[in-house]
Amino acid sequence: MNISFLIHTFWLAIKAIPMTLLITGASVLIGLPLGFLLAWIKIKKIKILYPLTIIYTSLMRATPMVLLILLFYSTLPSLLNVILNRHLHLEIKIFDVNPAIYAIAVFALIAVANLSEVFRSAILTVDPGQQEAAVMVGLSPLQTYYRIIVPQALVSAIPNIGNLTLNILKGTSLAFMMTVQEVTAVAKTAAAYTYDYTEAYIDIFIVYFILGAILQLGFKFLERYLSRHKVRGTARQGA
Amino acid sequence: MLKVKNFRKKYQQHEVLKGIDIEVDKGDVVALLGPSGSGKTTFLRGLAFLTPGDSGHIEFDDQKIDIQTATSEEIKQLRQKMGFVFQNFNLFANKTALENVEEGLVIGRHIPKAQAKQKAQEALKKVGLLDFQNQYPSQLSGGQAQRVGIARAAALNPEIILLDEPTSALDPELVADVLQVIKQLADEGKTMIVVTHEMAFARDVADKVIFMDKGLVVEQNKPIEFFDHPKSPRLKEFLSRISAATVAHNGFEYEKATIIGNKES
Repeated sequence: MNISFLIHTFWLAIKAIPMTLLITGASVLIGLPLGFLLAWIKIKKIKILYPLTIIYTSLMRATPMVLLILLFYSTLPSLLNVILNRHLHLEIKIFDVNPAIYAIAVFALIAVANLSEVFRSAILTVDPGQQEAAVMVGLSPLQTYYRIIVPQALVSAIPNIGNLTLNILKGTSLAFMMTVQEVTAVAKTAAAYTYDYTEAYIDIFIVYFILGAILQLGFKFLERYLSRHKVRGTARQGA
Repeated sequence: MLKVKNFRKKYQQHEVLKGIDIEVDKGDVVALLGPSGSGKTTFLRGLAFLTPGDSGHIEFDDQKIDIQTATSEEIKQLRQKMGFVFQNFNLFANKTALENVEEGLVIGRHIPKAQAKQKAQEALKKVGLLDFQNQYPSQLSGGQAQRVGIARAAALNPEIILLDEPTSALDPELVADVLQVIKQLADEGKTMIVVTHEMAFARDVADKVIFMDKGLVVEQNKPIEFFDHPKSPRLKEFLSRISAATVAHNGFEYEKATIIGNKES
């Protein structure tokens, strides 16, 4: 066991954490509003858009992450190059674009599809009777949504959002295939010089474990905070 | 004050309401009785356009609405004069009892926050739940939740309150408190339409009792006449089934109420 390599690579991997978090964070943050929009389209069954969102969601959820990444990284740049530069003559340097952008795009597309399902089921858990009550006390449909329904839907959505974020965090390890310098890529590159793969993998494991643990804790607290109205049976004294 | 003419509603082929005509005067408490499936709830929800009727006319003071052509603006204006109390309370689960009552005052009626809070607290006090103002609906018993539901409707000071089987989802021992609160509103001169199965309550509190069956108003009368001298055979049968004996011997349920006026036990 090459201990000095283990420690050295660990620090390298730590320095790559911001890239991992950037891809995870950006794709989830892009996914939240768009996922909500798709969920709304699905619930309201809006014409034309509804079947499209259904097709998109099932396609995205059925495709392995690796395949999407390969497809995106090998095909999309060339395709964009042909369309933007050869046909539209925009002279954009497609091949100079930071691969992290592609990574964020791929993971955001995955996040949107999954979050739309998360939100759809979460919104449906809120009893429609509350919407009627809201309408009767003079709230507009929009006010009903963001004052009554969304706060409650979020509570049931949080565990699933946490799951998805965790999956994407782990999924970003595949971004090394797009030459993105995130945790896995950095450690693997270091190991390639000295063949200390075991040490590198241990480093990667520790880093993901720490990130994952923090994420899980964070979501637990968020869930507890958002569901404070669900406390049961503490104050049933009196009439 | 409120006049409904020829209110009709169909679910697919099934005609639920076959032309209901009723009239409610200011200050009246109207009890709507009838066997299940008679369309009482459908009618009450139709009045508030929660499940809109197919045709008919609604006249509320000087507002005249043709149900078929009602615009969302007209419906909004009509709803502003109405409070609605639901069978399953439908409290906002993410808000405390106080916030439930405030919501309509602040957001719906644009009353300043401080003033709304005061009004909301007054309303909660009236239903004997001021001590529970910071509890969430999940912490309240069914009877307490329904009283918050009534406070929420009454706090907006609507011209009429529609109550859809306000006690049917409650444990029997909690019914009395809720009926007591409704009676209190009646004593204050609130106009109300109550869909109910509480015969003793209807008899004692209502100014007019309407019996519906199979989508039609079969009989309407003052409560004493209605219960003691029913005219139509259908009503006679209905009353004999629910047994007048229960009414006579059980007394008036709400007199067993544990809350009296503003006192909180």
